[in-house]
Amino acid sequence: MSAMDPTEVFRQEASELFEVLEGALLDLGQRPDDRELVDSAFRALHTIKGSGAMFGFDKVASFTHEFETAFDRVRKGEIKPTQELISVALAAKDYIRTLIEDPQSTDDIIGEAILDDLKRFVSADKPVAPVAETPPLSPAESKQVGWHLYLEFDSHILRNGSNPLDLLEDLCKLGPCFVVPVTDGIPFLDEMEPEDCYLKWDVKLHAACDKDAIDDVFMFVQDEMKLTLSPLAHVEAPAPAPLFQLLDEEPAPIAEMVVPMVEAVAAPVAEQAVAKAEPKSEAKPEPKSEAKREERGIATVRVQAERLDELMDRVGELVIAQARLSQLAASGSDLSIKMIAEEIERLASSLRDTTMGARMVPIGSLFGRFRRLVHDLSRDLSKPVDFVTTGEDTELDKTMIECLADPLVHLIRNAIDHGIEDTVTRAANGKTEQGRIELAAVHSGAQVLVTVKDNGGGLNTARIRAKAEEQGLIAAGAVLSDHEIHQFLFHPGFSTAQTISALSGRGVGMDVVKRTIENMRGSIDLSTRSGQGTTVTLRLPLTLAIIEGLLIRVGEGRYIIPLPAVEECVELTAEDERSRGRNFLNVRGNLVPFLRLRELMAASGAPDRHQKTIIISTGETRVGLVADQIIGNHQTVIKSLSKLHSDVTIFSGATILGDGTAALILDVAQLVSLAQSKVEKQHINEAA
Amino acid sequence: MALNPMEPKWSLRLPADCSIAAIRNVYELIREAFGRQERLEIDCSSVDKADVTSIQLLLSTAKTGEAQGRPVVLTSFSQSLRNTLRRAGFASEALIDQHFPQKKDGI
Repeated sequence: MSAMDPTEVFRQEASELFEVLEGALLDLGQRPDDRELVDSAFRALHTIKGSGAMFGFDKVASFTHEFETAFDRVRKGEIKPTQELISVALAAKDYIRTLIEDPQSTDDIIGEAILDDLKRFVSADKPVAPVAETPPLSPAESKQVGWHLYLEFDSHILRNGSNPLDLLEDLCKLGPCFVVPVTDGIPFLDEMEPEDCYLKWDVKLHAACDKDAIDDVFMFVQDEMKLTLSPLAHVEAPAPAPLFQLLDEEPAPIAEMVVPMVEAVAAPVAEQAVAKAEPKSEAKPEPKSEAKREERGIATVRVQAERLDELMDRVGELVIAQARLSQLAASGSDLSIKMIAEEIERLASSLRDTTMGARMVPIGSLFGRFRRLVHDLSRDLSKPVDFVTTGEDTELDKTMIECLADPLVHLIRNAIDHGIEDTVTRAANGKTEQGRIELAAVHSGAQVLVTVKDNGGGLNTARIRAKAEEQGLIAAGAVLSDHEIHQFLFHPGFSTAQTISALSGRGVGMDVVKRTIENMRGSIDLSTRSGQGTTVTLRLPLTLAIIEGLLIRVGEGRYIIPLPAVEECVELTAEDERSRGRNFLNVRGNLVPFLRLRELMAASGAPDRHQKTIIISTGETRVGLVADQIIGNHQTVIKSLSKLHSDVTIFSGATILGDGTAALILDVAQLVSLAQSKVEKQHINEAA
Repeated sequence: MALNPMEPKWSLRLPADCSIAAIRNVYELIREAFGRQERLEIDCSSVDKADVTSIQLLLSTAKTGEAQGRPVVLTSFSQSLRNTLRRAGFASEALIDQHFPQKKDGI
């Protein structure tokens, strides 16, 4: 195991900070008065700048510094973050990202242009009245002979574990400091909350340090304090003795001036008072911030994604080996071996769950990216869109999250470009000017449902049908349900867009979305209401690595059906058998189409006397699969099929069984679709 | 903290812990003593843990005493308290005198 490249660590950290920065900037567009958002954006910028300089990304540090300086007036509340300003700030963020990830692909001139824009926007609205705080400092001013600081902390800051004295000490490390406490806020005893902070400080720092160095001292409390900073024009002569120089000296003779301790102190009472205070004193508030930092440090560990993949592979191998051991133990009569096999099975199962849990990532990390997409599209297409996300905490395997990004980009683009109408049309239809796109994730059993919902015009079924007829996909006048017609949208090269734009209209996309989702063993579904909008639902398994499966036998072959798709198992009755040719099963009064897997797999040999039917479902659709035998549950480590098998659509992968043989994993979505198409053909034949 | 009602003046010895963890107890006892006696001496010699809250409480005590015309005498600042005062910027005698004008009373 090699140590991680420090610059790679920075890139990863920066990537997370970019998400924070982008989220804050986008939110600022909605809530321009939210100071927390401005501060959050600044913290992210500040950390990128500091870390960038530390890891040798000088251009990043220098550009971010300029960005910070230009944006400082927003921070100080002098100007409002307008949409135009937010857009330029987002462009600046993108530029910094490029400087970090692919510096060769950009040029200084781009950065300069962005900074010019940024400066133009922030200087367009100079304040008329002077503000209470110091005006923004130009980079040239940021080096001074010293600084005059006024520190005022929020009253609750001490309760949070922050210690202003530590901060003063840090400040004094920058250079000789003259600290004067300001006590005018100290209340009378009756009005006092003893844990609140009332002291303020006036500090003169005689050091030619950067303003940023001072900001760094207060970085973790900047939301909980007011820091007024102005450059010292000259070093006042004589410079006062620095505070911490004094501290190292012998204590001032205060003791000489105070009266000796009063003799008649009642010691027992004193002890009682101390004892009373002691239990609380264990909670040492002073080092709390340090403790917090330490706690944060050990609460999470950054691990390379490949290592998690590697771990999952190893667990997969272990599960397979365990299955072999269990089978071996079951065939023998050694009780102790059986017990060990059971114990290992239990441990392997637990290890599998833990490993899979470690790979789970909240889908919110993905959702955040789309806010920018919606923001930009909304601006480019002049369609105001309200983007709402829910279920960000829903967790999915990290591989699924990675695979899901592109399909969702496509669906959201489609929703804005095709779904949401322009403002004039919306107004004419009595709708609000602002469209709405909802991106939601929710757990549903062993699946996660991700929906993209718009409140646009809905799908134009007639146009889709006309296009399908024009492309020869269906015969003119063929009887098809709306749902069936909508499925043509997933056909390669199918587009109803009348004009081709940079975003859509080329007919490339929905088929790729469907294929990607199906490759993830998921399914995609469309529902629409004319004039009210469209909802695209993606059903995804929680993980791509190991699943619970139902092991079945068909002829001599064994197959796995993903357990979450299995609804129930029933015996194929003689009556169902007699329905040969119609292939419908009567399940408690409902007709369910079924597929005979023996026919599908071209199984040889005589079928078992009592055939079993496994009812599987995707969404609302149920299909029966007829097999010779149901063997039982099986922890299935999914192995990809080789490229040679890429045209075999009814299998989504393979697994290795306990005896070392392979079993193919059935692709439920494909089987359901196959059964449906058989039913449709049957309908058409009957109609003919 | 100790109160000695037998003395002509009440004296309080601050406990070792005068940090934020214990400051409310110290505050309550000072208020209680304040309400009972004309003259109050606060002995700071045992203070082992001090922070911003300790300084603020002493400042408030001095301010309240002065406003009410009651002599409050702060005596024997411990080394720990003195260091905390210095860290908070009470770095010179003049400054301490300015903020604790009654500390010399009763010498």
